Amino acid sequence: MQSDVKKKILLVDDDLDLLEQNKILLESRGYQVITADNSKQGWELFISEKPDAAILDLIMEEHDSGFVLSYRIKKDNYGKNIPVIVLTSAAYFTGFKFSASTGEEKEWIRCDEVINKPVVADELVKKLESYFSLKDS
Amino acid sequence: MENGHCPKILIVDDEKGLRIGTKRLLEGEGYSVETAENGYDGIKLGTTTEFDLAIIDLKMPDIDGIQVMKEILKVYPDSVCLIATGYASYETAIEAIKFGAFSYIPKPFTPEELFQKLSQGYSRRELILEKKKWKQEREERLLEVAFEKSRLNTIINSITDGLLVVNKNGEAVLYNPSALKYLSFDQIKIEEYIIDKLHPQIAELINKFLSSQKCEQKSFSSEVELKPNREFYVEATSSPVANPDGTLAGVVVVMKDITELKKIEFLKSQFVSMVSHELKAPIAAVYGYLKLFSDTSIHLSEEQKLNYLNRSQIRLDGLLKMVNDLLDISRMELKTVNKEIKEIDLHVIIKAIIELFQIEIKKKNISVNVKSSEMLPCLHADQDEISRLFTNLISNAIKYNKTNGSIDIIISSSGNYIILEVKDTGIGLKPAEKTKLFQEFFRAKNEKTKDISGTGLGLSIVKRIVDSYSGKLAVESEFNIGTSFKIFLPLRNGINNKEQKAGN
Repeated sequence: MQSDVKKKILLVDDDLDLLEQNKILLESRGYQVITADNSKQGWELFISEKPDAAILDLIMEEHDSGFVLSYRIKKDNYGKNIPVIVLTSAAYFTGFKFSASTGEEKEWIRCDEVINKPVVADELVKKLESYFSLKDS
Repeated sequence: MENGHCPKILIVDDEKGLRIGTKRLLEGEGYSVETAENGYDGIKLGTTTEFDLAIIDLKMPDIDGIQVMKEILKVYPDSVCLIATGYASYETAIEAIKFGAFSYIPKPFTPEELFQKLSQGYSRRELILEKKKWKQEREERLLEVAFEKSRLNTIINSITDGLLVVNKNGEAVLYNPSALKYLSFDQIKIEEYIIDKLHPQIAELINKFLSSQKCEQKSFSSEVELKPNREFYVEATSSPVANPDGTLAGVVVVMKDITELKKIEFLKSQFVSMVSHELKAPIAAVYGYLKLFSDTSIHLSEEQKLNYLNRSQIRLDGLLKMVNDLLDISRMELKTVNKEIKEIDLHVIIKAIIELFQIEIKKKNISVNVKSSEMLPCLHADQDEISRLFTNLISNAIKYNKTNGSIDIIISSSGNYIILEVKDTGIGLKPAEKTKLFQEFFRAKNEKTKDISGTGLGLSIVKRIVDSYSGKLAVESEFNIGTSFKIFLPLRNGINNKEQKAGN
């Protein structure tokens, strides 16, 4: 079931240190990682690299840039089939707790999962694997 | 007479003897008497002065006594008139009384008869006058009460707080225009049950008393959002109104507009959220690196290890700076800063700050120029605050500057203000960035600012300091060309006669 080719993960976060840390973590778990520190670059990488999954920080240069990027990726013909995970420590900015658990909420947030920072690397890997195995099977 | 009032009597009779005789008789008894020798004179006298009593002869050559009486009664309807006549008969008696006479006295009359009639008449007059007095007093009092009530109404209608009073059955009994406005009612019907038309929270505040029908003196308050999205908030307080016997008469609700307060509360809690976010980020970054170090399944090269340790240090430096900036802000917020106002030598301060930043200035090869006008008035301010002001502005001017760029620091004065300007040839600001410039934690983010570190609080602190002196801030900037910050600080009146000479 494990494919030989490493799965390519797109990481977008404006915190360079977190970006570096998650990259090292995911690479050590056997993934190939491409990174961007702003949503514009993130979109460009998505188009040019066609990753197998995307992990996006919610708040970047504009308050909703993570949302917007997630939405665009999910609307894209290719992107709608890949898992998109949004990371946030930012329930505060908009005042409500994010979730994508109900079908309706998923529709609205346009991503597959919302995870609160700080992320536990193994939890992240487990989630990714569950999405990948779902697709592969 | 008894009460000290001297009764005024009018005698109208053409008979001279009777006139003078009766006058003498009555004056002897303490009456005040005036006489008229014919009807017309009688009318003239009787209608221009108010007499208590009038004795009018019935048959006079020029005009009928009853006519005279009628004229007098027209003007002074409370006068007591006696018709005197030699031609006594029932008819004349009835006639006279029909037209308003109190009584009639047949001529000739004895003094006793006269006095008797007068006494009766005067008692009657006194009663009439007393009745009049009471009526007047009553009217005055009613007027007073009405005035008081309308005064009270005016007061109630003038207060900005909304006022609503219901009786023990929940029917509206009193309200003011503010209540109508706050509750968004076109009208309130008095004595109509109103509870179920009210916002549920307000209804609940009232029902606390209506349901128990008890009058224990206690109040209940709630913050009620009358319009969504924080557009209109009131603090509603309900209190019981007691009858004299202690039972519940009704409930009074006062609604106070707290929309502004709520807005401020919201901004403050937003600030707190932002602060905790900004503080957590560097901690998470350092924590993340530590986890990398301790993760046995991850191999890090020496270069990576060194890099991560360095990055951790940088993040913690930033955290420390942020904490210090926040403490500054919180001190200014709480106004616990005691300004030590004294004469400031701006040149000394600016020179010291430029010294501090020498390394960064040399690194980017920036030229720094300080210019000041010839005769400058003295600035009186707190040294630390002015120092902070310049530190933040100069630090920004260096950070955002181009290599080989320049910084101009210009001190001048105009009118009642001293003007401090810091100009740079840096990357400048886009219009959108300019509007948010002084917001807490705002930092311009574009390709050019990638490597610039900062807390995002520097300018917010500058603004707070300027505000605390009631000064003004002006920013001019062109993207890619440069930025200028101008601060206008008011000079204290009367103290600035000494002038500083321009420095180097």
